[in-house]
Amino acid sequence: MTAFKQARFELAGVEVAVSELGDGPPLLFLHGAGTVTGFDALLPLAGHFRLIVPNHPGFGASSDDPQIRSVHDYERIYLDLLDALGIDELTLAGHSMGGWIAATLAISQRARLHSLVLAAPWGLRVAEHPTVDLFSLPDAEVPAYLAADLSVFAGKAPDPPTPDWLADRYRESTSAARLLWAHTYDQSLARWLHRIEVPTLLLWGESDRVVPVGQLGSWQSYISGASACTLPGVGHLLFDESPEAVEAIDEFALRYADG
Amino acid sequence: MFDDIEFYVFNHHHYGKLPDRIDDYASSWVDYPNSEFDPQVGHELYERYTRELKLVEELGFDAIALNEHHNTAYSLQPSPTVRAGHVIASTEKIKILVSGIPLNLSMPNRVAEEYAMLDVMSGGRMEFGFPLGTGMEYWSNAAQINPTTARERFREGLQVLLQAWEQPGPTSFEGEHFFYRFLNPWPRPYQQPRPKIYIVGSGSPETVDLAVEFDAGYSVVFVPIANQLRAFESLREKCAARGRTLRPQDLLITTIVYVADTDEEAEREGRPHIERFFSWFHRVQPKYLSPPGYVSRENYLRLASSAALAEAKESTWEDMLALGRIACGSPDTVADTLSRWAEEAQCSRVLLQLSSADMPEEKAVKNMTLFAKEVIPRIRARATAPA
Repeated sequence: MTAFKQARFELAGVEVAVSELGDGPPLLFLHGAGTVTGFDALLPLAGHFRLIVPNHPGFGASSDDPQIRSVHDYERIYLDLLDALGIDELTLAGHSMGGWIAATLAISQRARLHSLVLAAPWGLRVAEHPTVDLFSLPDAEVPAYLAADLSVFAGKAPDPPTPDWLADRYRESTSAARLLWAHTYDQSLARWLHRIEVPTLLLWGESDRVVPVGQLGSWQSYISGASACTLPGVGHLLFDESPEAVEAIDEFALRYADG
Repeated sequence: MFDDIEFYVFNHHHYGKLPDRIDDYASSWVDYPNSEFDPQVGHELYERYTRELKLVEELGFDAIALNEHHNTAYSLQPSPTVRAGHVIASTEKIKILVSGIPLNLSMPNRVAEEYAMLDVMSGGRMEFGFPLGTGMEYWSNAAQINPTTARERFREGLQVLLQAWEQPGPTSFEGEHFFYRFLNPWPRPYQQPRPKIYIVGSGSPETVDLAVEFDAGYSVVFVPIANQLRAFESLREKCAARGRTLRPQDLLITTIVYVADTDEEAEREGRPHIERFFSWFHRVQPKYLSPPGYVSRENYLRLASSAALAEAKESTWEDMLALGRIACGSPDTVADTLSRWAEEAQCSRVLLQLSSADMPEEKAVKNMTLFAKEVIPRIRARATAPA
């Protein structure tokens, strides 16, 4: 399979690493709060799209910036990235923490979006189906919360973990904590989701143990007309666990990205 | 040796009653269930520790040290100021080091006020140590206190507190974490311009830098003596670079001591309790030691590497003695050891843990008494002896 091309952008004082592949209409994918399994599972999207996968500041190959502390800092980093790439209109997708950032961007940038895909997005408070606080889980239990199919970690993590690998995880956990330590949801998100008004797909693994699929109905109640696709037997790392998750983005986004 | 050497007694107020099924628990911190806390036992322990602290004064020690921890059997002092208020009333003249409230867990003006209250109530018997707070405190307190900003917030909190103490109020303070329109605490400290302060750390460059910046003393806790000496050396160099001479009384070495008539008796009597101190009261999952952002990636890597080493080689009694985590033996042995450390550290303040873990009161009393009557005179004799 063809591999991503790597580039680096200096955006508002922080270096952001961007993986890119393909020539179609642009599709910006915002990842969740970890980069262990990589993003090769998304490569099929490059068949129809110009697929753009940045590493968030403080994650993967991007540099650190302790001043990036709020979802709006991330929102503005990606506005800068779109300017740097010369992209006006696009398809936007986000997973988990990246789903929250994508929803936040969609609230302010709806006129620029062909469509929006939110995959197991973090950010809403649903009392009956609470988001699990990954920080307080015992380390040994985390993989089984992240994925229904533990084979997704095969070859992605040294066994036993090396100090250097653990330090990389600690660094990403630190970057996530700047944003997520104080709450397990965004207190103001629900109020503004009504502004999204673009074709939206809510994509979820039915066996998600981090952001339960039970939250889907709440998102649908706030984003009118949002479609839903749920995948049986699939956990929180749905793109690693199921090619159907990637196909679902491809099929949905193609309908609206006729650019 | 320094002839002004002083001995501080650190009483952590351990909850000495161990759980019946001790190995069911991975930690005595953070999530160790408080159903294991028996209020009656707790009451008896406060009474006992009050008796011990009165004895500390009667025996002629120079100071009592108190500290703060949360969600743990390690400490019955989630509020050392509450405890210090009682200790002031239970003693006459002895100095009291509160060492102390992690500033991030409170508001710096409130800490300035409460500490000034203690200083005024005691007629100037107070000293204060400022810790960042262990990683465990950040799991045990409101998540609104974010460990990723702990160090910068701690530094700014110290600025607020010292401004509140040292500058005639009202003043204002505007920083990244704190904004005060009227910083004007009543009361002001009894000791002017301020009570003696120490930065409390584990020897990291960050805490050493704070001691330099705030013209404070420095106390290294819970690390082997070699690490304490290294931290002091680094502090001495950094102070010299700023034209400040570090004085022997600015440094506190910390250690666990058990003294008995002979080395063998000291080991027989002290060892079970000191081993329990490490095996139970220091039992904590690594993740609780380092919440996200509490240390840098580089320091985390150092910790992760040394944790792997520690796993490979369990710390034995002999290791603890050799590493200088503890000083245990006859009065001669303990006096030799502490004199050597104080000399190497060029320090004249020694912080002693004499009542540890599940040690019965009789042993703690015997340990404190022997230390005061047999060890202190031996060390002082060296200090005044002609070289």
